[in-house]
Amino acid sequence: MSHIHIPDGVLPLWLWLGGWFVALAVVAVAARSAKGEDVRRKVPLLGVISALMLVAMSSEIIPIAYHINLTVLAAILLGPVLAPIAAFIVITILALLGHGGVTVIGLNTLVISAEMLVGWALFRAIVGLLGRNRVALGAVLATVLTLIVSTTLLVGIVWLGGSDAAGRETGALDPADLRFENPFAEGVFSVGLLDGGHGPEDEHAEDDDHDSARSLSVGRFAAVVFTLGPIGWILEALITGAIVGFISRVRPGLMFTGALADERRPIPGDETGTS
Amino acid sequence: MDIAAIDSSATLGRSWLHQATPVAKLWAFTFVLSAVIVSWNVLVLAGIMIALLAVSIAARLRPGLLLPLALYPAVFAAVFAFSAAPDVLTGVTIVLKAVAAALAAIMLVLSTPYPQVFAPLQRLLPVVVGDALLMTYRSLFLLLEKFGNLLTAVRLRSGFTTGQPVRSARAATRALGGVLLYAIDLSQRDHDIMRLRGYEGRLRVTAPPRTRPAVDVALVAGSVLVTATSVGWRIYSVALNPFSWLAPASALVLLLLAFIASRRTTR
Repeated sequence: MSHIHIPDGVLPLWLWLGGWFVALAVVAVAARSAKGEDVRRKVPLLGVISALMLVAMSSEIIPIAYHINLTVLAAILLGPVLAPIAAFIVITILALLGHGGVTVIGLNTLVISAEMLVGWALFRAIVGLLGRNRVALGAVLATVLTLIVSTTLLVGIVWLGGSDAAGRETGALDPADLRFENPFAEGVFSVGLLDGGHGPEDEHAEDDDHDSARSLSVGRFAAVVFTLGPIGWILEALITGAIVGFISRVRPGLMFTGALADERRPIPGDETGTS
Repeated sequence: MDIAAIDSSATLGRSWLHQATPVAKLWAFTFVLSAVIVSWNVLVLAGIMIALLAVSIAARLRPGLLLPLALYPAVFAAVFAFSAAPDVLTGVTIVLKAVAAALAAIMLVLSTPYPQVFAPLQRLLPVVVGDALLMTYRSLFLLLEKFGNLLTAVRLRSGFTTGQPVRSARAATRALGGVLLYAIDLSQRDHDIMRLRGYEGRLRVTAPPRTRPAVDVALVAGSVLVTATSVGWRIYSVALNPFSWLAPASALVLLLLAFIASRRTTR
């Protein structure tokens, strides 16, 4: 529930377009920083870590409408510079597979990027405090705290788009005055296609009625998200903690320095480097 | 998510929709998406959805593949609609918006090979982002296959036991950890291959030849018509709302025609 599963056209234009602009700017800055001699290493690494996040995100836990993200784990491996790029790639591919709207790609990228950056920073800080022996616990705590932050961010976005802003942008909510009539009962031209069929005053009166009815209920949304969310947060935290614990035993370098730090190849069967 | 089936539908399909150029399909997708964004009329949205189903039948896209993928976002949209929409009809409208947009996106992906879908994006994006986008989809195939194999191996070794959830969870997590290590090694192997092939930044995707221009024109014209209908209904909603039933009714006729045409082709 950490990124936005709001369909296209529900949030106001200024919000999702603004999200696109800011996200593209963030991705452009990240891409500029990532450009360098080792770009050949970064491209395939970004590809596989993004694919790993996609594998996790494509399996939904139906009763609570939650899916695992593995964002904190991906951030630990990629580092803060590549994280926004991975977020953008994952969200774009998910949108093309019908999972999440195309218009909210920008906002989703920002939420996932924030989740990855906060997760990375918290993991480092917590492991610094607890020590490297408690790396799995560090990952669990970092994941839960990160998901609380990103879910609050999600509710903030819905709050921004769901109050008066949505009312202005969505126009007439047609379901409210839905009727079944024959268009040809009074002749083809009498429906008033050009003048809207009503006087301007009538139209404004109807619009005012709709404005009050069409606002999204942010309070109820927050209540649902913060009720179902914790089950998912705990699941995600336990899975992330278990994987981090496993990797730190098998190949500790990946957890503490990131996947790009070490160019040395492990000898198959001697991943811990003991021999 | 059966990514192999999606790819096989996109690359091996021979219908008129598969033969349309990716650029035309991307434009058509943009127009249909605009129609979905603009419309708040539940019947117009239902009409768009039925029309898309008609196109999918005419293009012989596998319903067993298309429909579950299109209905998947409905679960999330339903949660959002249930929690945020002011009334039931608005909630249904929100879910229909999600399903119609997903249907359009999935039809694009099921009829166009992924490098062709990403190529226009890749040209606009920074090198690292564009190339990583292409690499991600490729890696997704390999990782899903590896994860599937690892899960089978765990199952064969009785790693998943119904009475022991903790043991099963540990086994599944180790499998995911194994996939992660495989992914890191895979990225190093890809790095070696790219270095050998002289990769300097920017993977190249060749555009397919334009074989049926008439299909391209028809596809874009049809999608423009859908957008015009949606925009018209939005602007003149007060006058046109009573006649909203016309949208799903005409889409149903289209669906019937597509169904008859597909039956004839099959014979």
